[in-house]
Amino acid sequence: MVENRPLAAILTHVVLIAGIVFLCFPVWVALVASTHPGEALQRSPIPMWFGDQGFANYSQLLREGVPAAGGVPLSTMMLNSLFMALGITVGKIAISLISAFAIVYFRFPFRMLFFWLIFATLMLPVEVRILPTYDVVASLGMLNSYPGLIIPLIASATATFLFRQFFMTIPDELVEAARIDRAGPLRFFWDILLPLSRTNIAALFIILFIYGWNQYLWPFLITTDQDLYTVVMGIQRMVNVGEGVPIWNYTMGTAILAMIPPVLVVLVMQRLFVKGLVESEK
Amino acid sequence: MANLKLDRVGKTYAGGVSAVENASFEIADGEFIVLVGPSGCGKSTMLRMIAGLEEITDGDVQIGDRSVNGVEPGDRNIAMVFQNYALYPHMTVRGNMAYGLRNQGMPKPEVEARIAEAARFLQLEPYLDRKPSALSGGQRQRVAMGRAIVREPSVFLFDEPLSNLDAKLRTQLRAELKDLHKRLGATFIYVTHDQIEAMSLADRIVIMSAGRIEQIGTPMELYANPASTFVAEFIGAPPMNVLPVTGEAARAFLAQEARVPDDLGHVGIRPELMSIGDNGIPATITLVEPLGAETLVHLKMGADKLIMRSGHGLALDAGAEIKVAVEAGALRFFDRDGRTRSA
Ligand SMILES: Nc1ncnc2c1ncn2[C@@H]1O[C@H](COP(=O)(O)OP(=O)(O)O)[C@@H](O)[C@H]1O
Ligand SMILES: [Mg+2]
Repeated sequence: MVENRPLAAILTHVVLIAGIVFLCFPVWVALVASTHPGEALQRSPIPMWFGDQGFANYSQLLREGVPAAGGVPLSTMMLNSLFMALGITVGKIAISLISAFAIVYFRFPFRMLFFWLIFATLMLPVEVRILPTYDVVASLGMLNSYPGLIIPLIASATATFLFRQFFMTIPDELVEAARIDRAGPLRFFWDILLPLSRTNIAALFIILFIYGWNQYLWPFLITTDQDLYTVVMGIQRMVNVGEGVPIWNYTMGTAILAMIPPVLVVLVMQRLFVKGLVESEK
Repeated sequence: MANLKLDRVGKTYAGGVSAVENASFEIADGEFIVLVGPSGCGKSTMLRMIAGLEEITDGDVQIGDRSVNGVEPGDRNIAMVFQNYALYPHMTVRGNMAYGLRNQGMPKPEVEARIAEAARFLQLEPYLDRKPSALSGGQRQRVAMGRAIVREPSVFLFDEPLSNLDAKLRTQLRAELKDLHKRLGATFIYVTHDQIEAMSLADRIVIMSAGRIEQIGTPMELYANPASTFVAEFIGAPPMNVLPVTGEAARAFLAQEARVPDDLGHVGIRPELMSIGDNGIPATITLVEPLGAETLVHLKMGADKLIMRSGHGLALDAGAEIKVAVEAGALRFFDRDGRTRSA
């Protein structure tokens, strides 16, 4: 049904635009604030248009960091976050693909028991098992290291379950055709299962990357070495500096920089995701 | 080189379901065998046991005089075409056909040559770079056949390959299949629930019911001399009239017959072996179905109902009283268990 009533059209647009403004306003304020000197933000009204300190602020952030907040360059923190987020994402996807493959396509003793064990871990997110996990990581000597940041967060019942559900929708005949075509289990996995899972992998990649990027509690606990701090920790430290030292411009700049990688991932993966959806239409 | 032998083969599924029991038959090299029977009678199970996709729980399967129990499907020198095509959705038509050959480590030029030949034969040349999702059902099934052909197997297995297609396409592909068999000279084993497909394609038919083989024979053998009432009623459209001996119709038919075996349960007669005569068995027409070239006449003899096939231009309507004449030797006799008895 296509209606052509100008009043309704105007109204819907007003509502939509209002929504967008409402959502984008904080981002705009942050972006603008990151281009002013720190003092400008302590006066009211706060500026609504760009200042002239943008370049200086960002290069200070990326190269040296903010001395009042520990002075770790943001480039280091961004890289740390990126390593951690990518490690968690790739690790989670790889492990859950493989576990789902085992559970769906192989008959081994206690298969269902293992499945339910994996499923049960859904009830144990990091926050719940944080003390024992910390203990294990500490006794393995993985404090203050990338593996320590990444490995404890890799196991994923959700993704395993998702891939399992997807694998079970693949018709048996396809598996049988592959057997007749002399594809052993590994060939079948690489040549058929993996390409068919593209869309699911892209969707999970988005979700898991953002999950990994936004981790706060775990990195906060296991890193004491500033060289391993992540962006999210960096923001938190700056916020903690308080009102005494005017660094809101840097805080906002850090927030803006921290937003960029997840946005990029969404943009890139979304395209893959939509392409996969269109192609797999049957 | 690819004769096939099943020796007392049986399959009991894990849950205790016995899908195939004690099946034995031999297939000569180059034969076109059709396994036919109602849905759930174990045809697919039988085919999948030959393919090696299903483990056999009893007996022995031999391909080319080699026992293949425990041999992987990929090593049995067979190819299979499925009802739902089972094409790899993310590969092009070319990729689908090439996949099995690449897995065998065949050199690329030969793979290309085989694909080109199969594509020419199946008229798939314009579609080689398309994905299966961009093809019609008939084209997809052709690709599936192409995937089988390029492997040059000694045995082709088909599991209801035409069942997802519309009637017209089915007829067309049926003819192409027969042509394919003639050109390749390989052994074909074809599963269907459609007796017309079975009759038109098979050198020999294996007809199954509830996991057991009912009869094996050429289409005309099965049609003329069914081994049981099951076969009599399965083959032919409309099927053979099978009448209980206690009914009026059977008694009237038997009264005209010189030699009648004893211990009869049923009497059978094909619809086209009856005709309207000046004298014969009195009957009432209950329904007339003109089909163009022929007319199906539904009759009532006392309490028994039967169907007669008559030429076109029958000038009678429902309610008319007629006399039915029977051709000599047309009657078939079955005992109380439905097995054939000869006179
Ligand atoms: N994987 C299975 N597990 C248990 N029973 C099965 C399985 N596959 C088929 N069956 C049973 O075996 C019988 C024969 O099945 P099938 O060979 O597919 O019949 P058809 O192909 O003649 O329709 C049916 O009763 C079916 O329910
Ligand atoms: Mg079947």
